[in-house]
Amino acid sequence: MSRLRNLFHPIMVFIGVQIAWIVLMVVWINWYLENNLAIKEFAQKIRPDLFTVEIQWLILFEGCFLMLLILAGVYVIFVYWNKQNRLNQMQSNFVASVSHELKSPLASLQLYLETLKYQDVSNYERKDFVETMLSDTQRLSELIDNILQSSKADPKSMALQFQPVNLGDFLADVVKEHKRQLEAKKCLVDLKLEASPTLNLDPRALRMVFNNLVSNAIRYSPAGSPLNIHLHKIGKYWEVNFEDQGFGFEKKDMKKIFRKFYRVQNTDTQNIEGAGLGLFISSEIVKNHNGRLKVSSPGRGQGAIFSVQLPASREVEV
Amino acid sequence: MKNSEKKILVVEDEAHLAKGLQFNLEREGYQVTLVDNGPSAVEILGQEEFDLMILDIMLPKMSGLEVAKKIRNTDMRFPILMLSAKSTDEDRELGLAAGADDYLAKPFHLPELLLRVKGILRRWEWYKQPVHDQEIFKFGDMWINFATGKAKGCSGEFYLTAKEALLMKLLVSKKGNIVTREELLEKVWGYGPQTETRTVDNFVSRLRKYFEKKPQSPQHIITHREKGYEFKP
Repeated sequence: MSRLRNLFHPIMVFIGVQIAWIVLMVVWINWYLENNLAIKEFAQKIRPDLFTVEIQWLILFEGCFLMLLILAGVYVIFVYWNKQNRLNQMQSNFVASVSHELKSPLASLQLYLETLKYQDVSNYERKDFVETMLSDTQRLSELIDNILQSSKADPKSMALQFQPVNLGDFLADVVKEHKRQLEAKKCLVDLKLEASPTLNLDPRALRMVFNNLVSNAIRYSPAGSPLNIHLHKIGKYWEVNFEDQGFGFEKKDMKKIFRKFYRVQNTDTQNIEGAGLGLFISSEIVKNHNGRLKVSSPGRGQGAIFSVQLPASREVEV
Repeated sequence: MKNSEKKILVVEDEAHLAKGLQFNLEREGYQVTLVDNGPSAVEILGQEEFDLMILDIMLPKMSGLEVAKKIRNTDMRFPILMLSAKSTDEDRELGLAAGADDYLAKPFHLPELLLRVKGILRRWEWYKQPVHDQEIFKFGDMWINFATGKAKGCSGEFYLTAKEALLMKLLVSKKGNIVTREELLEKVWGYGPQTETRTVDNFVSRLRKYFEKKPQSPQHIITHREKGYEFKP
């Protein structure tokens, strides 16, 4: 049964079609060359006026040309199918990882709410639980933002609303929001600001970028490893570096990690949650600010540096 | 044994969830140890004894399924309650096959979790009390040592999981009589018949793989259609 299914696999069908048309062409041309003389004689006997050599070669070329067109058509259909198939695959991976991503903070919320419902807790504990729950709701809302943003058909049409934003304060704010997650992972943040320029940015979109980068650094690092955030000017850009000492990745993954739904697969990261959306969205948002999102990693297990470069031309006087 | 003497190992990498579980289990009087990854769990199990392990599946470095399988290949024997965001039947079967005794999908209800923990520990205690004069039960050329969980099946010696041993003990203690699926669920799993009876069937088919030369036509663990199971030595 599986053999039969393999036989009808689109790749096999595609190869089969190619072989069929090549064989057909060979047989056809061979037959034509062999019978050419006979046909010529036969035709000359009946209607010598119809017969010219040029027309016959023309017909042969015409046949070849049409055959090539069919080949091209089959190829286009095959490529399209392949793309569609990969997209379906990615979609189902996405659904699986998103549902897991959604369930983790939800499970935590439910646990704490039910703890408050069924257990007697002290004031201090209640406050602590509420803080934990708030950080879970933040995680949920970040994820939902990512999903909504990525589901927009054309990210280029992203409607950004620019306003002056003080980058230094903004970064400090983002770090503060992740205080709880950072504490839970015993991760120390070193925020180094060489200046604090005010740029014309979309704060909502850019918050998603920074949230994604900080969350990634936390999730893809072992507990207790530091995160350095460094804001400085480099050429025509203001650059924010997020340097972690986490799991890193290999060179071959460098470009792929910005693809939608793509996730680095190896033993360090296989059980880390993620939907494969964060970096895709972040790079789209930065591009829409005429900036660049770059990444480098010395290799697996040696951390990674994500750099958000925003054009200095966006700077505004305050 | 009081709750306060019972030790539970919680293996969960979600810090929030781990902390919440610890708080609630300690409120119930258990001693809780937290671990946030697979290798540390295996390591600490080599040093300390626990009465129950609550194990998350999605763990960094080594998944919960691998941890359970690893433990199953040793002589350490205690019940495992698996927690996972994966909630399909296949995920459940995978978890149980890896050696878990119970499986709870996230998000879960706190009272249900606490009841299950209590139930597992209570049944484990019942199991540990000797019922037979001799703890080694022999049938054919096979045997089961209920004290250690070690057994010899068709293809050599191995260790039964806590739940498998419990199920086998119940069937053996009523040998020659039919035990209903409901009774098995109630006594071995501790929840009412409204829960899937397929769980029982899964476990029985696993036991057959161990103790039947031809699992398709069983000689020892017999199915009585719409009634239950019977053990014949």
